[in-house]
Amino acid sequence: MTAIVDIKNVTKIYGKKGEKQFQALKGINFDVAPGEFVGIMGASGSGKTTLLNILSTLDQPTAGQVTINNQEVTQLKGDQLADFRANEIGFIFQDFNLLENLTARENIGLPLALQNVNAKKIDQLVQTIAQRLSITEILDNYPTEISGGQKQRVAAARALVHEPAILFGDEPTGALDSKSARDLLETMDDLNKNDQVSILLVTHDPFSASYCQRILFIKDGVIGQSLERGQKSRPDFYQEILTTLGTFEQ
Amino acid sequence: MLRKLALTGIKSRLKDYIVLFSGLTIASAIFYMFEALATNKNFIEHNTTVGSALIIFQFGSVLLAIITLVYILYANSFLMTMRQKDYATYMMLGAKSRKIGELIVSETIVIGTLATLIGIVVGTALTYGVGMLLVARIDATVHSFQPFYLPAAIITLIFFLILFIFAGLVNRHQLLKKPILSLLHVDDTPTQIKYRPVVWLIEAIIGVALLGVGYWAMASLTKLNILAIPIALVTIVAGSFLVFNALTIWVLAILQKSKLAKKGLNGFTMAQLKFRVHDYTRLLSMVSILFALALGAITVGMGYYNQIPLMTEHSGIAYDTVVHDPNQKELREIRAMDVSQQANYAYKTANKTIYFVKNDFDKKPLLRVKQQHNMSLAAVEYEKITSDQIMSKTDKSGLQTLQELLLANQRNDQVQLVSQSQFDQLAQPAHHLHTVQVKNFRTDLPRIKAVYNSQVAKHPEIKEDFSNKYGFYQVLKATFSGLEFMGFFLGIAFLAMLASCLMFKILSGASSDRIRYRMLDKIGTRQSMLRGAINKEVGILFLLPGVLGVIHVLFGLQLFKVLMVDPYYQIWIPFAIFIVLYAVYYVITTKLYQSIVLKKE
Repeated sequence: MTAIVDIKNVTKIYGKKGEKQFQALKGINFDVAPGEFVGIMGASGSGKTTLLNILSTLDQPTAGQVTINNQEVTQLKGDQLADFRANEIGFIFQDFNLLENLTARENIGLPLALQNVNAKKIDQLVQTIAQRLSITEILDNYPTEISGGQKQRVAAARALVHEPAILFGDEPTGALDSKSARDLLETMDDLNKNDQVSILLVTHDPFSASYCQRILFIKDGVIGQSLERGQKSRPDFYQEILTTLGTFEQ
Repeated sequence: MLRKLALTGIKSRLKDYIVLFSGLTIASAIFYMFEALATNKNFIEHNTTVGSALIIFQFGSVLLAIITLVYILYANSFLMTMRQKDYATYMMLGAKSRKIGELIVSETIVIGTLATLIGIVVGTALTYGVGMLLVARIDATVHSFQPFYLPAAIITLIFFLILFIFAGLVNRHQLLKKPILSLLHVDDTPTQIKYRPVVWLIEAIIGVALLGVGYWAMASLTKLNILAIPIALVTIVAGSFLVFNALTIWVLAILQKSKLAKKGLNGFTMAQLKFRVHDYTRLLSMVSILFALALGAITVGMGYYNQIPLMTEHSGIAYDTVVHDPNQKELREIRAMDVSQQANYAYKTANKTIYFVKNDFDKKPLLRVKQQHNMSLAAVEYEKITSDQIMSKTDKSGLQTLQELLLANQRNDQVQLVSQSQFDQLAQPAHHLHTVQVKNFRTDLPRIKAVYNSQVAKHPEIKEDFSNKYGFYQVLKATFSGLEFMGFFLGIAFLAMLASCLMFKILSGASSDRIRYRMLDKIGTRQSMLRGAINKEVGILFLLPGVLGVIHVLFGLQLFKVLMVDPYYQIWIPFAIFIVLYAVYYVITTKLYQSIVLKKE
């Protein structure tokens, strides 16, 4: 089976030639299989945000190839990039990134409206995903009127409503309390297992990472180590991550 | 140290500061431009016979000052949205609030004063440019017009200095009063508007009704007399406010529930607008009313200009041009005209008696305008005056009509109508009195003017009488062109200030919109779509007060029905000028907005 995300020799250098340069990514290689739940862990400054920005086509690599759902995104430009993001990628951000002047329903429907899906179909799809994420009750509320956990569910619904090839999470539990964080992660796990949603999660939180099937550790722009959950229970995997972090970060 | 920090703060936001700075410069330039006329008593007194012109200008001055005040407050809030996070960070790090206060006041004043000084220079150039342009356009002679007028410069500088000190103190007060935390998290949450259809409906009905009363009052000036003006003023101000507050939000709320909202970014744009319109209600109503005043000033100014040929047509003078002994050049000009009637009367002068051929008047009788009782646009009617009427012993009016066509020095001579053979027997040289009536005075104006000037060169005394329409036209123009010039000046100054106000209000919200547009970009919205959404949003914010303002003007012109033959004549011209100027502001605003909100490609 071809990988849903395939990264080859990706490097990213900041700063112009002749000026002081900084190499944030130094030849990254990995792939994500369809239906896989992959985590990328690393400390601040390790290059994980740069990597996510490149994966999500918000930034261009200096060299190397990024292929998502059989499309080499490094070749895309302007409108093609926007369309690609709109069709193939779903995002969940740490700070939700919901539009406060739209209701939850309008926020979720936005990616569909951008693709000119007709109004009736939008209503249907929003309703379906809202039921899946148990947020039908708050669909007509504005983001300021709901809790952080609910906001992140709305964000997740928005990220999934157009059935993207992959869901990217950028520290999605970072701004949530532990109960909401656990709920969200359970939901993601459930989506992954039952709906075969491919997920790539960037985090520095071992608890969040323990929901992944595979974890890649990034440090100074290089992927240094990886862990497979295999048949281990989640708590065991969590312990293993903590141990690995202890040795990896030194 | 803090000062140095403040300077680096400015440097890092240089582009935003350039926007602010050029805005302030424009404001002071326009204010100066206006004051250069308003404070120049010589100019006003020399250029109009209307005694109230000085009062009109002072009234205009006050209005402009109020708009400027509002403008500075908006520009100031734009400055504050840029700076308050920086200041709050300094305070969080332990900077003394007194020091920060000083910094804010001095920053505001320094920027303001610099902008004002440059504005006065720009204003002088603008005054010169616009002045010359208008003089050329309306073919007017303007006296005592001085592009640089020292008292105006001083007034502008003092006025703006006071405004900036005031603005600086307001900034200081706001910044020091608010808790640091809320300063650090400004513009995160816009106010939510509750859905209240019943309240909106009632408000909208009252608003429309008030506007109706105001419009009716203006149309019924003859019935209500001077009372019409205060009634109209109060009802239209309140009506505009309610219409913006309720009607637009209500319409937007309905649209948001429609299918249209689920197409592309429409839903987002509607939400933005609903929030904006609510926030802008006061500004939008003010803009719509002042828009009406500005457009009104230009329309009325222009109206007088258009009025001149129209009044000339209705002047009671029958002939467009009367030519004494036309030469080849004059005849060539006359042949080029679109003539509806012309006649040539030969005459010979002997012993203080002027002999005409009687038969000439029977073939081509003289024309005289039938008296009209009031100004109206009804076609002018003529009565024909034949030889019998000219020679009538009882009614001298026929003879008078002929005498009025003669040169001043011939009017005391006897007039005799004789047969062709008698006329031929007279040994004196024959002269010719050539009368011309054209189909359209306006279109043949250049040729009529050429003939007139050529006649004046031969007979300077023609300038003093009203035997032909062109002479009368000249007199009217001298009276009204000054008035027109002022109308234009006033209108353009108002418009520029108003549009700048709207521009700054919109731009001051741009920085909080940045996050929203970045987010839309992340979820895959095309740049072209984002730009389209901005164009739509800003476009509607410009359009709403513009449309209401145009309606205000259309009804407001009713007031001038008593003063003008037809205030609506060629109304599209001032409207077109206005729309072009307004559109320029719209384009500038969207471009600036896009450069603030969208990321660079």
